[in-house]
Amino acid sequence: MMTEMANGVPAGLLYSKEHEWVKLDGDVATVGITDYAQSSLGDIVYVEMPRMGATITQFDSIGVVESVKAVSDIFTPVGGEIVGTNGELDSDPASVNSDPYGQGWFYKVKLNDMSQTANLLTPEQYEQLIAES
Amino acid sequence: MTTDASGTLRRTALHDAHLALGARMVPFGGFEMPVQYTSILKEHEAVRKRAGLFDLSHMGQFMLTGAGVGEWAEALTVNKVANMKPGQARYNIFTNDRGGAHDDVIFYRLDEDRWLLVVNASNADKMWGVVTAAPASGVELVNLHGERALIAIQGPRSVEWLQPYVEADLAALKYYACAETRVKGTREPIVIARTGYTGEDGFELFLPSDEATGVWDLLLAENRRHGLEPCGLGARDVLRLEAGMPLYGHEMTEEITPLQAGLAWAIKFDKPAFRAKEALLAQRDAGDYARIAGLVMEGRVPARSGYPVFANGARAGEIRSGSWGPSVDKNIGTALVEPAAAAEGASLEVEVRGVRHRATVVLMPFYKRPKP
Repeated sequence: MMTEMANGVPAGLLYSKEHEWVKLDGDVATVGITDYAQSSLGDIVYVEMPRMGATITQFDSIGVVESVKAVSDIFTPVGGEIVGTNGELDSDPASVNSDPYGQGWFYKVKLNDMSQTANLLTPEQYEQLIAES
Repeated sequence: MTTDASGTLRRTALHDAHLALGARMVPFGGFEMPVQYTSILKEHEAVRKRAGLFDLSHMGQFMLTGAGVGEWAEALTVNKVANMKPGQARYNIFTNDRGGAHDDVIFYRLDEDRWLLVVNASNADKMWGVVTAAPASGVELVNLHGERALIAIQGPRSVEWLQPYVEADLAALKYYACAETRVKGTREPIVIARTGYTGEDGFELFLPSDEATGVWDLLLAENRRHGLEPCGLGARDVLRLEAGMPLYGHEMTEEITPLQAGLAWAIKFDKPAFRAKEALLAQRDAGDYARIAGLVMEGRVPARSGYPVFANGARAGEIRSGSWGPSVDKNIGTALVEPAAAAEGASLEVEVRGVRHRATVVLMPFYKRPKP
């Protein structure tokens, strides 16, 4: 059970202004979209991500998440090498809606530079961001 | 997009009801409309399995009165109007001189001399211009756009859930029939028609704006706990696409004719004359026109409007509508393509973000409701 801030923002994660979350484990980050993001997008039907081994740069558009109505870019909150992707999303994209911080994770990145985490938001800062939007 | 003089979006009489139900509102056709309340997929499922309630008050409603309406309308449209019987509804298309579509519409003949014409919200201003520009004797036109409400109940439980509030015997009302009947909560009889845009059984209720909230609340109060769901325009678009129904601006435009849209059944070339008769005859006889095809995508990538379509490696057209189709469990869409690429079973490729994905042409509709 994750500790939650107000608005259901889990503690212990970092966030981007584009509504992605980052969970750090050493120099490997797991990335997904926040509950706020999945709720705004509506029913997710497809997620397109970089392949294993691809190198991505922080805040670049590196894929898309598609709801029934719309295509939205994924701006990666961290850069580095893709070392894992959630293949389950192909058959069950709805898990992004039902469990955005768990089964609905997108990909794992081996960070090329740990200092980039300084560009992310704390749970408190993210909570404030969505409270204002 | 049309807006009022101040540039702000108009609101339907049900605006507060939508907000109370937690709707997400979006601009559509100059109005602020609910795109979804809970989830497009949940609302879609409610309509396929039970019933859904829609606010369609943004649609244009014109009252046409007079002995000359039938003849006047036949000259402007591709289908027949004058031979409609009182109590009958009929799909039709207004065209420009080249055969392109001004709008697709439904005529409801209420009695000998009164007709209700329902046009798309996004075309309501244009269509008012079209009908008022056409010289007419014995035709009186009244624009009720935004002044009257339209509530639709759609889905297999529609008869059961609507009947308790309606005097007329709904089961006896045939598909594409209409009647003026008393409804609980309305002062005067209102028009109810067995029409819709979802591929399911259902009814549309045309009523005065100040009575809309009462009827909406009444229908939800008893039936919501049984599974009647308020549904937004998001679900409506998926439902109509699965049912193979064209959406103006996508399958039909001022440039895309009804023939190209696959609506030849609605064009009555045996009418002595109508606006685009010569243009459409020439197009039909030439036969080489690009046309709308239904297609099913392989894999999980949805096709979206505007994506390029290829046949045998060569550009063959573009996607006009695309969505995940929950009832068929596949990504579906329509494409405007060259004739050879529109044949049933044709293998096509749809380019999505630079990568080509396979798709197959199928006959529409993608979904047909089970026979009762």
